[in-house]
This record gives sequence, C-alpha cells and structure tokens, in this order.
Amino acid sequence: MSTRTLISPAQLARPRGKRLYWVCFAVVVVLFTLAFLGPLYWMVSSGLKTTQEAVQTPPTWVPGSVHPDNYQRAWEVMDLAKLLLNTLYYAFGALAFQLVFDVAAAYSLSKLRPVLGKVILGLMLATLMIPATVLVVPQYLTALDMPIVQRNLLNSPWAIWLPSVTNAFNIFLLKRFFDSIPKELLDAASMDGAGPLRVLWSIVLPVSRPILGVVSIFAVVGVWKDFLWPMLVLPDPSKQTLAVGIYSLATSVPENVLIASLTIASLPTLILFLVFQRNIMSGLTAGGLKG
Amino acid sequence: MSRARFRRTRRAGAVTLASALTLTALAACGTSSSDDGDGDNGSGNSAKADPAAPLDPKTKVSITIDCMPPAAKAAELKQWNEDVKEFNKTYPNVTVKGRSTPGQCLEPPRFTAMLKAKSQPDVFYTYFTDLPQVLDNDGAQDITAYVNDKSVPLLKDIDPDVLGSLKKDGKLYGLPTSNYRMGLLINRKLFKEAGLDPDAPPKTWDDVRTAAKKIADLGDGVSGFGEYSAANTGGWHFTAQMYSLGGDVVDASGKKAAFNSDIGKQVAENIHAMRWDDDSMGKTQLLKWGDLQKQIATDKLGMFLAAPDDVTYMVQQLGAKYDNFGMGPIPGGENTLAGGNNYMIKQGISADKVKAAVAWLNFKFTTVGKGQYDWKRHKADDLPVGLPQPNLWLNGSKTKDDAARKEFATMPVENFKAFTDNPVPGKAEPPKAQEIYKVLDNVMSGILTNKDADIDKLLTTAESQVNQVLATQ
Amino acid sequence: MSAPTLTKDPAVKDRRPRRPRAGAPHLTDGGFGKSLRRNLTAHGFLIGAVICFAFFSWYPIVREFLLAFQKTEDGDVSWVGWDNFVTVWNDPAFGQAWRNTLWFTVLALLLGFVVPFVTALVINEFRHGQGYLRLLVYLPVMLPPTASVLLFKYLYDPGYGMFNEVLGVFGVPAQQWLQDPDTAMLSVVVASTWMNMGGATLIYLAALQGVPGELYEAAELDGAGLLRKVWHVTVPQTRLILLLMLLMQIIATMQVFIEPFLLTGGAGPEGSTTTVVYLIYQYAFNFNNYGAAAALGLLLLVLLAGFSAAYTRFNRDEQD
Repeated sequence: MSTRTLISPAQLARPRGKRLYWVCFAVVVVLFTLAFLGPLYWMVSSGLKTTQEAVQTPPTWVPGSVHPDNYQRAWEVMDLAKLLLNTLYYAFGALAFQLVFDVAAAYSLSKLRPVLGKVILGLMLATLMIPATVLVVPQYLTALDMPIVQRNLLNSPWAIWLPSVTNAFNIFLLKRFFDSIPKELLDAASMDGAGPLRVLWSIVLPVSRPILGVVSIFAVVGVWKDFLWPMLVLPDPSKQTLAVGIYSLATSVPENVLIASLTIASLPTLILFLVFQRNIMSGLTAGGLKG
Repeated sequence: MSRARFRRTRRAGAVTLASALTLTALAACGTSSSDDGDGDNGSGNSAKADPAAPLDPKTKVSITIDCMPPAAKAAELKQWNEDVKEFNKTYPNVTVKGRSTPGQCLEPPRFTAMLKAKSQPDVFYTYFTDLPQVLDNDGAQDITAYVNDKSVPLLKDIDPDVLGSLKKDGKLYGLPTSNYRMGLLINRKLFKEAGLDPDAPPKTWDDVRTAAKKIADLGDGVSGFGEYSAANTGGWHFTAQMYSLGGDVVDASGKKAAFNSDIGKQVAENIHAMRWDDDSMGKTQLLKWGDLQKQIATDKLGMFLAAPDDVTYMVQQLGAKYDNFGMGPIPGGENTLAGGNNYMIKQGISADKVKAAVAWLNFKFTTVGKGQYDWKRHKADDLPVGLPQPNLWLNGSKTKDDAARKEFATMPVENFKAFTDNPVPGKAEPPKAQEIYKVLDNVMSGILTNKDADIDKLLTTAESQVNQVLATQ
Repeated sequence: MSAPTLTKDPAVKDRRPRRPRAGAPHLTDGGFGKSLRRNLTAHGFLIGAVICFAFFSWYPIVREFLLAFQKTEDGDVSWVGWDNFVTVWNDPAFGQAWRNTLWFTVLALLLGFVVPFVTALVINEFRHGQGYLRLLVYLPVMLPPTASVLLFKYLYDPGYGMFNEVLGVFGVPAQQWLQDPDTAMLSVVVASTWMNMGGATLIYLAALQGVPGELYEAAELDGAGLLRKVWHVTVPQTRLILLLMLLMQIIATMQVFIEPFLLTGGAGPEGSTTTVVYLIYQYAFNFNNYGAAAALGLLLLVLLAGFSAAYTRFNRDEQD
C-alpha cells in the first residue's frame, strides 16, 4: 500500500516510530480479535457445555466436558432445517423480485426518462426518509386486506416479496450506475434497431454486473436480517423465518441447546461470507459508497 | 371507500348466510321431531343439518388443528399419532391434520395476528382468557348445539367453572384441554440443602421470604424465589399474588383498576424486600415464561409460582427429574388464579367439520382413560403421571381418573400432597387479561430492577394505563 | 477492483445535469405518436416497482394519517378527531419513551457513529493485517440479528455471563447490565454497535482511501499534530460521506426494535428501554389500538421530516 495516510512515512521509518507502530498494531489486533471473535468463541463453546455448566456462576472458559450432541438436538428440536429453507425461499424470492422490478424501474428512470419520471423518483426517494417501523402498522393493515384486490397476504411469501421491492436505496444505486453508462453505447444499439428491453438485456446488464452484485447482497441480507415484519406477517410457525423462529423457540429449550442453535443459525451466512468475502467487501466499498 | 363498501357487503352476506342457516336449522328441527316417529328411513338429509346428530360416517371430512406436539416432545407426539390412528378406527372418514408449534403454542402477539388474518386452523388452541378477543374478531363458532351428552358423554362431569370460562351469554365456544390452579412449585433438592422441609412448602408470604433467604444463602448463583417481569407473564403473576391475598386487579364493575390498594402495595413491597433487602431473587430479571423453569430445572432456583403441569414441561423439554419437584398451595391462600387452555372451532367451517372436530377433541381431551387421560400409556412412555392437574373432572369421573393417576403414578405423588390437600378457591383471570398483564409487567420489572423503585408511582402509573385499557372496551 | 466506473466523485456528478437532457430533445424529433409510445414503454418498465410502492409505501403513508384520526371498533371505522393524540399524550409512558429515544440516539451516535470512524482511521494506518481487521469488524454484520442479540443476552447475564467474567479479570466489579435502569440502554447500544458497525467502518475505510496524501504533508509543514490533522484534513475531506452516514444512522436509530425487544423484552427495567417505536408496537399489537399507534407514529414522522428538511437545507447552504 503506497497511499500516504495520517501518519507520515518518515515518522514511521524512525526506530522509535517503528517500535510504536508494532506495539499499536499488536494491541489493536489482540483487542479486535477479543472483541469480535470472543463472543463467537463463547457461543460455540457454550453450545458444547452441559445444561448445568452453561448456566453456572461463575462461567467456565473451556467446557468441562464436551457435548456435541447439543448441536444435533438443537437441529432436530428447533426444526432448523425448515426455518433455514423458509428463509432461503423468502430471500431468493425477494431477490428475484427486486432484480426484475427495481432494475427495470431504475433503467426506465435513468435511460427512458418518461413523463413524471422525476416525480416518481422523488416519491420513491422520499420513502427513505421514513423509518420503516413507523409505517409498520398501516403496512400490516394493508397486508391484512389489500385494497382493490381484496387479498389477505398474511402467511404467504408475497407478504415478504412485494414489500421488498420498495427498496428506494437499491433503485437509487442502480439508477446512478445506469446514469454513468455512456449514452453513445446505448444510442449505437438503438441505431441497430434494438428495443429498450434488448438494450437493457444485452448492453446495460452486462456492464452493470458489479452493482447488481451489491444490490443482490443487500436484497438477500435484508430479508435474512429482518425481524419485525416477518414476525407480524408470518404468524404460522411452520412458515417462519430463521430469525423469528429462533426467537419463538428460545424459551422452550435449555440454555445450552439454545446457544447451540444460535451457532447453527449463524453458520450459513458466516460461511458464505468467508468464501465470498473478497467479492462482498469490494462490492460494498466500491458500489455503496463511492457512487 | 371501497373498503367500507366491501365490509358492508360482507356483513350483508353474513346476515343472509346466518338467516339461511337459521331457516335450515328450523327446518331440521321440524323434520327431526317427525323423524322420531319415522325411524331411520329418509333422515339422511336432516341428520346432516342437525348439529346434535352424530357425524355421518359416509362424509369424508378433514380438519386442521394446531398445537400438535412438536418433535421436541417426542413422547407426546407419538401418543398424538397413536390417538389419531385409534380415532380413525371409529371415524375412518375423518382426517386429522395436525400443525405443530415448536415453542409455546400461543404467544399473544402472534395469536392476535392469526385472528386478524383469519388464518387459524379449523380447530385452534386458546387460553381461557382469549374468548373476548376471539369473539371480537368473529373467530369462533357457537358450538352449543354440537356439544351434548352424545358427542361428549362426560360433559356432566366436567367442572362447570371450567366450562363457564368458555361460555359467553350462555353459548359455548370451546372444549377444554387443561386447567390449572396456581401453586408454589419447589425444588426439593435445594430445600433439603437449605435445611428446609420439602414436604411442608411455605404457606404464607412471610414464610416464603424466610425460606427464599435460606435457599439463596446456599450461594453459587442460586436464588430462593423467582418472578417473571416480561412478555405479559410478569403481570400474570402479579395478579396471582394479588389474588393470593384476597385482592383483585379489576373491580367488580370491570371498568376500573383495583390493584393500587393496600394489598397491591403489600405484594409489591414484599417482592421488593426479597429482591433488594434479602437479595434472594437472583440478579437476572426481565424473565418470562420458560426462564424460571430453566432455572429450577438446573437447580438454580428454590421456588416460584406455577401450575402443576410445568413439571411435565421441565421433565420433557429441559431434561429435569420429576422427583426433584414438589408443590404447595399458593402462599396467602385466599384465592388462586385459575386458568387453562382449550380448543375453539373456527367461524364459518361446515357443520360436518365441526362434528368431526368435537369428536376428535372429545376423544383426545375429555375422555377418562383415553387420550391425554390414558395414564397407563403415559407411564409406559415415561411421562410424568401423578400430577394433580390438569383435572377437569367431578363426580364419578373424578374418582375413576384419580384412581388411575395413583395406580400408574411415575412420581412420588406425596410431593404434591400439600397442594392437593389444601385446595384454594380458584379465581378467574381479569377481563382484557393480556393487556392488563402487559401493563403490570412494568410494575414487576420496576420493583425487580430498581432498588429505589417508587412503588406508589409504579402502581399509580399502571392504574391509569389499565383504566385506559378498560375504557376502550 | 471490478468496478472502476463507479469511483467517480459524487460532487462532480451532481453538477452535471445542467447539460442538455438526453430525453428532452427526443420529444420533438419523433412527433407526438412516437413520444407517446416511448413514454408508454418507459412506464411499462416502471409499473412493477410503482405498484409495489403504491401498495406498501405510499398508500400506508396516507393511511397512517387517516388512522391517526380514526377509531376502529368491531370493524366499524369512525372519525374521532384528535382523540388518539390525547390518548397518546396522556399515557405516562409517552414522555419517557421520547426521552429514551433521544438518549438512545445520543448514545447510538456517540458509539455507532464515532466508533466506526475511529476504527476506520486506525485500520487505515496499518501497513499489515488490514484484510484481517476488516474481516473481523464485518463478521457480526453477517450474523442473523436474532442470533447476535440472544448471544449478547447470554453474555450480559449478571450471573453466568461472559462480560462480568472478563471485567472481573481486570478487577472491575460485576455489573447488572440489562437489569439496571441506568445501564440498560447503554448495554442495548453496545450490542447494537457490535452488530452493525462493520458496514459503516468499511464505508469510512473506502472514503479514507480517497483523501489525497499531499494534504497531510501540507498540514505537517504547518506543524499540525495528529488530532489537528484528523480534524482539519480527514474530516473535511470525508465530510460528504460522514454527513450521509450521520443521516442514515439517525434514521436507523429511530427504527431500532429488535435489540431492546429481545434484550429487555422491549420495555426494559422501569421502562428504561421503551422507545417510541416500541410504544407504537405495543399500542398496535398488544393493545389493538391502531389509532393510538398511528397517532404516535405520525408524531415521530413529523419530527423526522422536520429533521430531514433541516438537513437538506443545511446541506444546500453548505454547497452554495
């Protein structure tokens, strides 16, 4: 890394500076490791303890005896497989809806520029200013009895998928990216007689891969992490998401089994993250932030 | 606009439907009286419309029902499946589709959402206190006509108090599955360790305080007495403590809070003293149903107010041993909070389904010697037998059931002797129970988490909130 | 990096729309029919998103206003004027909820805004292990929040929790954390910061890469120390991102629900973690009083709208 940062390289090059640098570095690395991996260690190890040991005062740092069967019990008792599948179903459904509707909308607003387009964009962006939890009551009542179509969306995946489309931040990100695609590129294609859909499919989308990646991550993680809305609109326990399911089950299993289930619930995204961390991090920093 | 119109048409539809039903019912009455003379022939049609008639074995019916035991309750699930099989011998035409809930069958916010969504199954599980809310949401059917001594042969032996909580304006809306009267659940092991007599649980709140102190003195993170203070269960137990001293939380008119009284203060001060002066209630608070069970199951808690069937839960799901528990009557002993669970039947499902549902509920939950009262099988499946409750019975059924409980007891019944020998009059939960409990949670959590809690202020604040809840009937 | 096209300076781009619009001239050169067709196509692309917004954002906003002045009893809706607001105002929890929300916002800004920025500054100085540190900080973001929150509840337990044990090593007396009205809110904010700081940290790190090194050199020539360099170079240079994040942080803070809901049951000891949002939830889903919930929501909405307006205004003044 050659960029010049806060502390001057000259200062660092001095012996005293060097020593100080390494001390600071060591302290920070140890501190961060404790702060961020410490709780995770505690989670994994407490999941291996006996029920007695898990609630013992003072707690033990290392399990006295190791009981991996807690994990198996958590998996079966809390029906984690089903909760996981449910969550995946909602998350990827929401992703599909967002990719289709939000990309189309952003493309239209950026390149096709219809009458009233600016107003619509403004109305969409305005929703960013309103905390979602404030609107939870009228949204919930809407899902109960959809106006015009008179449908009750409770307990159906639509109650997750459709509201996920109203993600103004994703539309905003997409539109800004599309704005940066040179007009000449599109004009050339139009000359060749390609319609807007064709242009979107074969020119815009291929060059937009990085931003699509970012938006996809936001979409999936958004559903994965949401709590209040799925708790309200999916009251049927067999349809719940992982986040809500674990909450409802928390009181009905011993503490060690509960902690084991937290570990299991954390694994899928953690693994996903560790495998794709390079893409996810660069996607986040490149897309979200500078554009 | 469209919404209002829609409601009106729906309501109009409901009225037509209702009148149509009344007409058919009347017609059915008319024909059935003549049937008596006619004998069997030609009564097929009228039998279908007559709620009192048994289910026609030729009609295929399937019913959905919630609160089937989850995989975690392996033994109970096995029994459920066996019972469905046996039920199908008599009713091969009925399919029982169970839905299981891994956690608690009923959590108030989820229950509310379910009623609003009208997504309850044909047969749905509720607490006794839920009836007003269910009726507000037009969620349950009047099943008075379907429940008689043919469809529920032991009807006359069911405790009328229990049935009373399922009735409104004389109409019956559900069938009970269990009932409870709260008592003082104790951990016998800790009692012995603290030098207390586990066969004589404390009878007054002063005794509770002394015993709690002794148990907490054992150290090692053990607390003597535990209380809830979150998720409505704090208010539920505050109410129970009020009742135990002869108090009430809502006055006779049902419109005003009644807990900001001397008894209310006494309850609050006693808890405060145990928590802060004696430090005998543990440091972890904001607990809800399930948390104290976890503590007592791991020998970290000496006693708490509970229903006897909590023991089943602790043995089955938390891996506790049942001979470690005992029970006494609620301290104070003036009244004890009585409640229970039941099934209701969804508004609008067909008469045949209702009949099938009543038949199944009767088979599983209100037949001595069968279903949940098959104590012999409970013993074989290693479930606790010998708990005093649930016990819906009176008269001959009670004698018969009690004898079976004793015969197949898997646990020392004498551990519950103090509870059964000293019955305390039951008192039903207040109107708008869950809302009031929510408010009273704050009183509990205030006392239990703040050494300098201003009890008068907590009670006054809660009083004004409860009055508001009661005002918006 | 795979996205070079994105790394444009936003400030430059904001000025660009002054150029002739791609859309406007088209309207004239194709005639009315062509323009109509073009518009229809464009709206066709928009329609899916617009319908979703209409149902789940715009209509609920309108409905929020209506609900606040209505009462629903047995399915009958009636207009009740300001009654719901009076109800909400007279609720003893009302004042407390606002004070708590304010307190939470202050704490969340102190921790949730400052900590990630300082973390980013520190990480950015290192020539080694940056990847590892970034990974650590971002790790909790990927956990399902229920898992993190329930884990923290376990760690906070005054008896068997890890935190008291760790503090004990340093001789700090055991704390009550979530159980004590004085520390409950702070504990909630700490948990929340741990869970969410990764995203902000990465954003700041990216922004820091864009600060020209010459500016630091110039500052050093003027004899600036470490803190003055941060204040006079780093902060102004990353101002845009900082302001944007501040806004997002405040809005996110107002929405916080799951952390107090799971850690302290929502209300918390003596109602010390009752936030406005929790109160809304309680009105609607515990007390079935949608009118009061909407009235309270509306008050929060007005406050935030005022705040957003002030922010936009301030932002514009700054740029002129």
